[in-house]
Amino acid sequence: MKIIIKNSAILLSLAAMLLVGACKKDFNNPNAATADQVFSNTRGFTGTAVGLQRLYSLGRAGSLFNIINANGFVTNELFLVNAGNLPEAQLNLGGGSVDPTNTILANIWANASKVIFDADNVITGAQGLADKGYASGLIGYTTIYKALALGSLSMFWERVPAGVGINSSFTERKQGFERAVTAIDAALASITTNPITAGVLANLPAGIDIVNTLQALKARYALFAGNYPLALTAANAVDLTKRSAFTYDALNLNSLFEISTATNNVFQPIDSTMGLPVGLRPEASDARVNFYMVINPTTAPRWRLLGFAAAANTNFPIYLPDEMRLIKAEALVRQSAPNLTAAKTELDAVLTQLPAADPFGVGANQPTYAGPLTAAALLTEIYRNRCIELFMSGLKLEDMRRFERPLTERKRNFFPYPFRERDNNPNTPTDPSF
Amino acid sequence: MKLLNYPVRAHVRLLVMLCVFVALPSLLFAQVKVTGTVTNTQGQPVEGASVVIKNTNAGTVTNASGNYTLTASLKNGKYIVSVTGINFKSFEKEIAVTSSNQNIAVEASLEADINGFDEVVVTGTSAGTTRRQLGSYVSTVKSDQLIKGATGNVLAALQGKTAGAQITQNSGDPAGGMSVRLRGISSISSSSEPLYIVDGVIVNNATNRVTNTSGNFDGGNFVGTVGQNRLVDINPADIDRIEVLNGAAAAAIYGSRANAGVVQIFTKRGTTGAARVSFSTNVTVGELRKRLEFNQAPTKFGGPTDGVGAQTQDILTPSLTNTTPVTRYDYQDAIFRTAIGNDNNISIAGGTEKTKYFLSGSYFFNQGIIKNTDFQRYNFRANVDQVLADWATVSIGLNYVNSAANEKPDGNSFFSPMNSVTIIGNIHDIFKRDALGNLQAVGERGRVNPLSVIEDFKQKQTTSRTLSNISLKLKPIKNVLVDYTLGIDNFSQLGTTYLPPYAYNVSDGFFGGGPNLDPSRNGYASAANNTFFAINHDVNVTYNTAITSNLSSTTQAGFSQQYEKNNYVLLQGRGLAPFVQTVNGASTIIPGNDDRSEISITGFYLQQNFKFRNQLFVTGAARVDGSSVFGQDQRNQTYLKASLSYVLSGTDYWEKLGVAKWFNQFKVRMAYGESGNLTGIGAYDRLNNYTASSFLGRTALNSSQRLANQNVKPERQAEIEFGADMGFFNNRATLSINVYNKKVTDLLINRQIAPTRGFSTLLDNFGELENKGFEIVLGGSPIATKTFNWNINLLYNHNRNKAVRIGQALTLFNTNGGAPVGIIEGQPIGIFYGTFFATTNGQQVKNSAGILQIERGTQINPLQFTTARDANGLPPVTASVLRRIIGNPNPDYTATLVNEFTFKKLSLRVQLDAVQGVDVFNADFRTRQNVGNGLVAEQEHRGLLPRGYVLGNLNIEEWRIDDGSFVKLRELSFSYDLGKVAKISNLSVSFSGRNLISWDNYTGYDPETNAGGQSTLLRGIDFGAVPIPRTYSLGIRANF
Repeated sequence: MKIIIKNSAILLSLAAMLLVGACKKDFNNPNAATADQVFSNTRGFTGTAVGLQRLYSLGRAGSLFNIINANGFVTNELFLVNAGNLPEAQLNLGGGSVDPTNTILANIWANASKVIFDADNVITGAQGLADKGYASGLIGYTTIYKALALGSLSMFWERVPAGVGINSSFTERKQGFERAVTAIDAALASITTNPITAGVLANLPAGIDIVNTLQALKARYALFAGNYPLALTAANAVDLTKRSAFTYDALNLNSLFEISTATNNVFQPIDSTMGLPVGLRPEASDARVNFYMVINPTTAPRWRLLGFAAAANTNFPIYLPDEMRLIKAEALVRQSAPNLTAAKTELDAVLTQLPAADPFGVGANQPTYAGPLTAAALLTEIYRNRCIELFMSGLKLEDMRRFERPLTERKRNFFPYPFRERDNNPNTPTDPSF
Repeated sequence: MKLLNYPVRAHVRLLVMLCVFVALPSLLFAQVKVTGTVTNTQGQPVEGASVVIKNTNAGTVTNASGNYTLTASLKNGKYIVSVTGINFKSFEKEIAVTSSNQNIAVEASLEADINGFDEVVVTGTSAGTTRRQLGSYVSTVKSDQLIKGATGNVLAALQGKTAGAQITQNSGDPAGGMSVRLRGISSISSSSEPLYIVDGVIVNNATNRVTNTSGNFDGGNFVGTVGQNRLVDINPADIDRIEVLNGAAAAAIYGSRANAGVVQIFTKRGTTGAARVSFSTNVTVGELRKRLEFNQAPTKFGGPTDGVGAQTQDILTPSLTNTTPVTRYDYQDAIFRTAIGNDNNISIAGGTEKTKYFLSGSYFFNQGIIKNTDFQRYNFRANVDQVLADWATVSIGLNYVNSAANEKPDGNSFFSPMNSVTIIGNIHDIFKRDALGNLQAVGERGRVNPLSVIEDFKQKQTTSRTLSNISLKLKPIKNVLVDYTLGIDNFSQLGTTYLPPYAYNVSDGFFGGGPNLDPSRNGYASAANNTFFAINHDVNVTYNTAITSNLSSTTQAGFSQQYEKNNYVLLQGRGLAPFVQTVNGASTIIPGNDDRSEISITGFYLQQNFKFRNQLFVTGAARVDGSSVFGQDQRNQTYLKASLSYVLSGTDYWEKLGVAKWFNQFKVRMAYGESGNLTGIGAYDRLNNYTASSFLGRTALNSSQRLANQNVKPERQAEIEFGADMGFFNNRATLSINVYNKKVTDLLINRQIAPTRGFSTLLDNFGELENKGFEIVLGGSPIATKTFNWNINLLYNHNRNKAVRIGQALTLFNTNGGAPVGIIEGQPIGIFYGTFFATTNGQQVKNSAGILQIERGTQINPLQFTTARDANGLPPVTASVLRRIIGNPNPDYTATLVNEFTFKKLSLRVQLDAVQGVDVFNADFRTRQNVGNGLVAEQEHRGLLPRGYVLGNLNIEEWRIDDGSFVKLRELSFSYDLGKVAKISNLSVSFSGRNLISWDNYTGYDPETNAGGQSTLLRGIDFGAVPIPRTYSLGIRANF
């Protein structure tokens, strides 16, 4: 008996030896870093900042593609190639057909919150970095995306989330623009105190001029918020010879090209009218039309994407220098003490610009403004030029409202709030009817 | 060990003297010969019955004539000869060996055991138990039932053979995925596939995508779990039997991972006697069961089909009213073919008293009905049982599998064989080539020519797998049994893809180079490797004791340890150099993937069973399990189980009742069990991760859209089951009924949250999932004579599934095929929730042009709405589009009817499977209309429907809901037993067919399909999956 037990014991302890070492339960994830790890060092902050550009500018789910897409359909800039693309088809029909399940709108909405969430993580965390110049570069770069995210929400929805968190409350959309301006001011202040070092720029994607971009976005959102003096100051602070753009390469494709130009299955430009009503349409000689589109004589549709959707590696400008001129012109007209002459000067600079003179090649090559020197007429011409110069930039819906274009010119005024928000946040405002 | 041999033997001898029968010790061993014939009650011989002399190592099996001869060295004394046969009650007879009685005849007549009361099942017990004792329903499927179905896939062979299971073939690919749902789905976020155990080894049944790897294959969308599931590696011919444990009540002993039930597979083992060789070969022929009809209209709207000014999808542009004459093609012959296959198996089984072996080898080859697809599998197995000592035996099982498949992209892309045809109008001459033999573009939209898919795409998948197990059984002291099983499952799966550069305009999304054939984008190559290693250890100690003469007790304690490691690596690139098929030839490298995970699970259990007079059985158990994937505080979970079985027909008062004459067997049972889902989330899903990627030469870190809860805990299932097993008229008719209520609490849901939280979903425990239902198993033999037998078996499964208290009214998923799959409070999981046709008084609303309308009005909540009408009685365009539940992929019931006829040596088996009351989201149906090859488009082309009709229906999701109910002639098998032919001891030929006929109202190929593969959530979606072929098989089986 003893021997058997002993014998069994030997066999069982052999088995037990195989078990030892296998009982470990704490495995580290080798595939990804946890939030705690990421926000514990400079490289983590930098990577997260770079991730914001990726989320904003890349792919079909990225903010940029969806903003241009949603804005383009409801403002008649785009032609729907295939009605089988349901979210695009909804926007193309507009009105009640745009519903809260629309994934294009859901992407803009969710990406904006995600960008704000992680931008805040970086901006807050970077304050603690020892290298202040590195930190201010990170804060400046990150704030660009935070501002763009706030801007995208405020342009398309009547009320915007007051912040990121559980059951977020909502504010007037104007406050969204103002928050963008506040964030930019904080970033600019940080950069003034601690100038950006070369070290941080080496770790961020090339192509973005942080300070000029911050000033340009400040001008844009100050204008949208109705703060004309601030818009004018900020626009004046932008160096109009500089380029600042989202860059693409063979691995990270220009999303407009990848999804639409290359496939000819989603959208193309509407045609050379750029979707504008009679009277506002670009002249046949306007060089900007041929910048943005090209004729395909053989295969339908006739008008094809060009411009910033031309190729896989075409860079996409975050702002165009002529947007700054048009902001100045508009602010000069709208400010409490209008300066129509100065406004005309800015407008003429846009109208007469040769394509080669523009950092991005967008030039009208048109005669100077010859219309009446009245605020109303100037504003109409400024609107017309914004529509042409900033074709497919995602800003037109905001412009249509600001320039009080008739509702019939657009297919939707504000977008419904995505179901995903409504279903899970009791503070979600009611949807606008149009 | 040798040193210990003598005392051990002496000890056992002592035990035999004391404990067994009255033994007259003799100093001499005599050579005893026992012979006889084993028959059934009709007098027919029973082949393969096992004959043993109890408490000795002597044993054999009967031959085809039912005869056996058994020789053994025995001392004089009394012994018991025991005869057991599959589906028979065991037979025992005492014999007395004396010096004059050494040639003994034992004739045995075996009584059928239709309910299988005395059959030994291994429901998580080391020693096994009889079905009589079970408190829950466990079905057993024997090898002879598995090999009749003309399939080389063990799960396909199991279709319709076990109660409570819905087994679906998701794709007709030669290695197409199979999903098994036992009593409905038991999870939302994770797999609902049962736990598979082969000879004690937990085998991986994962679906790993080593092909179809790039996001372009499915647009980066939610596609489910598509592709081969790894149970495809198991050879059905090696299987002795399969036990299916439907729910927690039965499976509680497996605790940790048994939420979706357990399927235990036991492979064949050797038996004492001379080597017996079995050989079988089958030739199979597969074909498309149903051809679809396509648009035959002589014209299309708008301009030409190809070349300059080409205008496709004319149907969706109603402003085009001019027409162009077109030639209409049927592309089905371009992609489908008649598939040939064969299945060869050879096995050798035999052994001595101490060593038994089973060796087998097989080669299986099966073409797909899609041209240039096939699957082959080599399988080798060695099972050896060795008696080490009277108190110790060791068993070793080794199984090597090598499988290889030639595939095409799966259904979820528009460059799969099926979808490449579905997505183009049937107006293009796809066969046209230029002078260099290059195929031409189809239309202006950059679609892939189906012939490129068939001829040029090369997509392969190879798996090399070893399943090995060692088990040790020890009887160290009286009444104690210790067993230990070590199992290892190790496989490496390699997938390669080569899409050569196209010679024509193909869109970037399909890896084309666009109109300019951009060489940096044109073509695609990938290589992916998945390596999996799992090891499990199980130790059980069983103690049996008799408390009184009527009451006995069995106590079991056990420990289990499991560890899994998975490494996945993907390389991919596009813009291929000419002729180079590897990623090396890519001018643009696409980001690859390198994913590694490890998990470990440990568990302990204690089980106590009391047995009263072989009538009343009570069992209770507790189990504690912990898994590394869950939060530290939630790791260890306790699961309880209790069951009761009462065999009323074995009691004295049953005899007195007077019904016993016709009501032979009556058992009632009840079981309660809990189990978990310890692999319910991925290895690191509890962590909030930032994933890294290369972006413009820098590293980008992006936080997941999913917010994780560090303290997430495993789902927990509690199932209660009541049942009864009855036998009537000498068990000529049997009936089993199971009623169950299976509730999963702490449901793991990756729930949608307001995006303003910074995340879009939250993975946490929410609410419950219920499956309530019943199963009826009815058996009968209306005719049973010496020459003719007729057996009927009916399975009926009814399951109702719903999500409750999930705290969210509606969760809607964006799926690749466009199916609006949702989870709604109080509704079945995976329902289709979407837009629908406007109706007034039951009549579909049409506008003045005759176009159907989408319903609009005010949505009050996900299930309630009010409709609105304008002055013309139409839904006003200013009102919101409404949604409701438009379909349910969960069937009302599934049923199987099997009729078996045997006449002398002829036998016929007919199996009908029914799935009723189920909806399919037929995405392909709408695509066919949109591109103009479908029959509705034909009516619009012919002017039978108003122009714009298809466009009007475009956004009405209800249009794509199709009736998925079917009754299928699943298996038909006809065999003839030639008996002994020359040196072949038994030869039989068989002819069988599979999926021969389907009675359904489905507009697509086959309602039994799922583009979501083995996904829990996405079911009943028809989006480009290859239809299940009709298969014929001719086979020969010989035993030597």
